[in-house]
Amino acid sequence: MIYFNKSQMPLSFNHYYIRRIWIYLFCAIALLWAIGPIYWIFVSSISTRMELYATPIKSWFPSEPTWDAYIRLFQGGGKYRGGDVSPTEGLMWKSLFNTLFVSIVSAAFVTFLSTNAGYVFARMKFKGKGVIFFFLMLMMPLPLWVSIIALFFMISNAGLIDTLTGMILLFIVFLLPLGIWLMSTFVREINPEIEEAAIVDGCNRWQLMRWIIYPLSKSGMAAVFLVSLLTVWNNFLLPLIFTRSPDSQMLTVVLSLFVGQYEVAWEDMAAAAVVTMLPPFLIALFFQRFLIRGMTLGAVK
Amino acid sequence: MPIDRNRGTRQDLVFVAVILLPLIILVGILIYFPAIDSLITSFTNENLRIRRLPKFIGLKNYSKLIENSEFWIVTARSLLVVSLTLPLELLISLGLALLLTEVFPGRAMVRTLVLLPWMLPPIVNGFLWGWLLNGEYGALNGLLYQMGIIDEYVTWLRNPDTQIIWVAVVQTWTRFAFPTIILLAGLQSIPKDLLDAAKVDGASSWQSFKNIVLPLLMPSFAVALTIEFIAAFQIFDVIWTLTAGGSAGGAINPFTKTLMLYNYELVFRDLRIGLGAALSYLILFLSLGVAIVFVTRLYNQAVKS
Repeated sequence: MIYFNKSQMPLSFNHYYIRRIWIYLFCAIALLWAIGPIYWIFVSSISTRMELYATPIKSWFPSEPTWDAYIRLFQGGGKYRGGDVSPTEGLMWKSLFNTLFVSIVSAAFVTFLSTNAGYVFARMKFKGKGVIFFFLMLMMPLPLWVSIIALFFMISNAGLIDTLTGMILLFIVFLLPLGIWLMSTFVREINPEIEEAAIVDGCNRWQLMRWIIYPLSKSGMAAVFLVSLLTVWNNFLLPLIFTRSPDSQMLTVVLSLFVGQYEVAWEDMAAAAVVTMLPPFLIALFFQRFLIRGMTLGAVK
Repeated sequence: MPIDRNRGTRQDLVFVAVILLPLIILVGILIYFPAIDSLITSFTNENLRIRRLPKFIGLKNYSKLIENSEFWIVTARSLLVVSLTLPLELLISLGLALLLTEVFPGRAMVRTLVLLPWMLPPIVNGFLWGWLLNGEYGALNGLLYQMGIIDEYVTWLRNPDTQIIWVAVVQTWTRFAFPTIILLAGLQSIPKDLLDAAKVDGASSWQSFKNIVLPLLMPSFAVALTIEFIAAFQIFDVIWTLTAGGSAGGAINPFTKTLMLYNYELVFRDLRIGLGAALSYLILFLSLGVAIVFVTRLYNQAVKS
């Protein structure tokens, strides 16, 4: 005779379906909360002005979707007043390039530097390790205004204000603690016996890095690269303070310049917002596992 | 033959130095040196609006701030943002974490989509919600109107007293995914046997949630709270595009001015460098407690273990 204890007892048919209905109901609410706003900004950017400005709102999807707002944004079109009146076109192209360039270059540097440093903190023993680690990590939770104020004048004096080089340098420094922390946790997961074997075979540390550590921590490096890329792309405060001309402005700053300007229409601003959040959105959609692994590693242990 | 990986040979020392020295110099020059420089500046009356040589004035900047009611109002507002955001975030993320531990078709997709807002630029989120809450064409008005909840459109962001609540809502929307992930991981690490055993003993699902799940989730809550406290306390971007109204160089809205915005205003708008530097150190002092909890945890995991 088969009998179930209470925990193995199959749920009754009705109970099962009622539970499912509740689950999907909550899913719908969760999605409305999380995705609704993103959906609406996208819809706004492809709506015609007539439909977008209708009150009360009649349609939740445009009857004639159009890319006009994007075309206006990237080809002359709407003007904004930021010092002087100029078309959005130049700003959008330039800042798109700047943001891509700065985020990719800084993320690459951070990944390389923090893989090396992560290994050092995970595996090597040396005097002062604890102190150095402490002062590096302290940068993460503290409000960095204490540094930024004097840093602004230093960067100005060095002629690096309003340059992409300056932005890259700053981002590398500000991202290092997170990168080092993540890489040190990733490296710690590598089986030390592999390294020991390599050392017995006569590898020196540099060869060890080149042939063992880099190949084995590829997924960790990918996570650090993506997290850094996203952080730079999304950052607003540093470009706000350390850039001022369109030559080196980044997308987040350009978007903030449009907001509240009567010369830039809502649908154009929506299009600019979609452009600004598209790369993070796509990265989050396709590489979420990497990101989550990267951004929560160690937090839960 | 056992190899002592930790033997401090000369070669290893060179290896460590070559890797760490450039980083130490970089961080020293660009973070810690300016921090000390700002500290010195905070004892002077440096003001770029007035052409004069900065003079040492001791702790006057600090006393000026502490005696000024604006400092206390702004500090209280920052703490208000924190105390509105944290419970809202934790409630939403606990609900979501519980939902996402259920097994159902489509779970992976729901999970991916629900966690998206966290990865978007906060500056966009402020704008996004400003547009949703718009009094003339906003989607929230449209939705509530269609559902028959409101009869005419409401200008949600107009009332200065409630603006800060919307700031907390948007901050919650920006950040809730992180505590969700932490709590989800916490939930998944709870042994199934424990819950099964409770069920056998006749515990209701509420009882086992209250007596088993919640206590075991406490470490996850602590982690999430620390990190979310830091994020909410240092809120800047979201306010900038939602309610600050300072983007074109205009005045910063006094009703949603938090500590970070106040600091920005003092230094980069009013150019009162000395006073701004003093404020930055007061903020540092205020966040020191949470920061030390945060760093100690990382330190214990990385160096001690």
